[in-house]
Amino acid sequence: MGLIKKLPYYSEKIPGGAIVLTSLEATLQFAQAKSLWYLLFGTACCAIELMCTGASRYDFDRLGMIFRASPRQSDLILAAGTITKKMAPRLRRLYDQMAEPRYVIAMGGCTVKGGPFYYDSYAVEKGIDHIVPVDIYIPGCPPRPESLMEGCLHLSEKIRRQKLSDWQEK
Amino acid sequence: MSAVRTEEFMVNMGPHHPSTHGVCRLLLTMDGEKVIKIEPYIGYLHRSIEKICENRTYHQCIPILDRFEYVTAMSCNYVFSLAAEKLAQIEVPERAEYLRVIMLELNRIASHLIFFGTTAMDLGALTPFLYALREREYIMDLFEMTCGQRLTYNYIRIGGVSRDIPAEFVPKCREAIKIIDQKVDEYMALLNGNPIWQKRTIGVGYLSPELAVAYGVSGPILRASGVDFDIRRDDPYSIYDRFDFEIPVRPNGDVFDRYMLRLDEIKQSVRIISQALDGLPEGEIKAKVPLKFKPPAGEVYSRIENSRGEMGVYILSDGTEKPVRVKTRGGSYNHLQVLPEFATDILIADLVAIFASFDIIMPEVDR
Amino acid sequence: MTRDQLKDYIGSKYASLMTPLDTGRFDPMFEVKADRLFEVSRALRDDENLKLDFLCNMHATDTRENFEIVYSIASITTKLRLDFKIVMPYQNAEIDSVQEVWPAANWYEREMWELFGINVKNHGNLKRFLLPDDWNQGHPMRKDWDAPDFVRMPEIQ
Repeated sequence: MGLIKKLPYYSEKIPGGAIVLTSLEATLQFAQAKSLWYLLFGTACCAIELMCTGASRYDFDRLGMIFRASPRQSDLILAAGTITKKMAPRLRRLYDQMAEPRYVIAMGGCTVKGGPFYYDSYAVEKGIDHIVPVDIYIPGCPPRPESLMEGCLHLSEKIRRQKLSDWQEK
Repeated sequence: MSAVRTEEFMVNMGPHHPSTHGVCRLLLTMDGEKVIKIEPYIGYLHRSIEKICENRTYHQCIPILDRFEYVTAMSCNYVFSLAAEKLAQIEVPERAEYLRVIMLELNRIASHLIFFGTTAMDLGALTPFLYALREREYIMDLFEMTCGQRLTYNYIRIGGVSRDIPAEFVPKCREAIKIIDQKVDEYMALLNGNPIWQKRTIGVGYLSPELAVAYGVSGPILRASGVDFDIRRDDPYSIYDRFDFEIPVRPNGDVFDRYMLRLDEIKQSVRIISQALDGLPEGEIKAKVPLKFKPPAGEVYSRIENSRGEMGVYILSDGTEKPVRVKTRGGSYNHLQVLPEFATDILIADLVAIFASFDIIMPEVDR
Repeated sequence: MTRDQLKDYIGSKYASLMTPLDTGRFDPMFEVKADRLFEVSRALRDDENLKLDFLCNMHATDTRENFEIVYSIASITTKLRLDFKIVMPYQNAEIDSVQEVWPAANWYEREMWELFGINVKNHGNLKRFLLPDDWNQGHPMRKDWDAPDFVRMPEIQ
């Protein structure tokens, strides 16, 4: 916080210093990447790890990731846990309800490619990329909170690299 | 008010709803704010675990059953191993039995802490959630130290456990249970006197003992309705008969009693763990079980007391490497069945409280 | 009552209804004729010495020749536990509902109907609940079940 308090002190000495010039792209990317509110789509085991990540020790909030219950308020679906064929249409519907720009993180083996155990299951959807476009895959069964956080940091990196024209066309 | 003409309408709750703890869908018929009919729709997490187990060897079934009830994955491992050991008549070494009891009870505490946190969060208090998961991390550290995983352990195997505990486990475990024991008092002090908490829990969601037994309700919910039944004591398995512990029973059968009973159980689990740590013998940790494990033909149902009631596994073996049928029974399956019985003049906010106090976990229902 | 006493008790009192099966050292296991099921379950629950009022588990098994339906029941008060099973042919498998005796049987029977195709008489609420609503590929828990997109585990030697 110290830097922000001192910033006006330095900048106002420069003529016209109260105005910071930057591109619209950079501002938007900065704002988006630093505050990703996520829709907790926890279905199975990974949801418990997601809860642990959100709680005291790992403290997800410091990455700007705040849990939302409604798809309309969120920028990101954190799909955590097995998606069955019965659940798949619901995931698609929630994705459709979200406002652009929207991102999807596939957390855990089940969402990546159907999981390590459900090879011969008649009910499990083999990977959620059949249903929604996925930005970041986090393998593990379930992944540790650290790897979930790293995945989210990768997503912020990805957002920062994005051009304004990229998501207009989507 | 009776002069006001009302109209019934339907509310769909779930399958993606933050207070259903998973993917349960409830179709509620409402009259104003009152719920008059509850219809649960399940199957959104039906992964066909039983069918998969039929195509795996006995050793391969254990990691799959971890995912059957992931909040207390140790007891899933244990109940399957227990059934297989009964079939093949395997004697488990003493040290392994002690390690199993320690792990099972630690896992029970971890599960009840999740219950405490999420229930309080559903009723509008965020702080207990952060507290409970902070204490749960001590247990996760212990598990990680032992078997390398935080949630799905694959630790208890047929004939024993997969590996021995490291040297620093015992002191760290003592420290952890001491902290948890103190913190439980803190939790009680935090919530029990709170008038909002009392209004929302005391007298809400009464479940009569007759109804509970008829619907096969077990575990903490049954004991909170005044029925004194615990499989650890009444149908003993492992070495539970060697420990000195009490079975907490509460008479009122409301949400508050279910919540208090689980906190009491944490204290009893702490007692069991400290006795088991004192008596932990040296020796082997695994009986000799061949990799091509072929139990003789036969069938067995084994049941244990899980943090959500009776957990059972039924194995039918025909003498080959793969079981013919594995049937898993989880407590939540019956608890969700009894939920429609509550639809007599409850408010929708009370329904959230009742649902939270049941501590239903969906993979146990859908499998 | 110990396990052996329970076996003797049922052997003497319900000899016409239940045939003991040899299961070694496990909980007692009996075989019951399908048409006597309701009678047996009511008698076991109401018997003053048994009071088997708690349905632990109930499931069907496909043994490739016939269906076996196993009821695992217990008692809260007398702490007894026993299993009994019904063996029935593969074709037109049908059982009586025991919901009146143990209400917990409701979902177990529904599941059996859905996944095995065993019809349950007097159930009243046989609706699909585990599989997707638009499922039309039969009863997946049967051993001979197959579907076009179903992948089997390869046999590893």
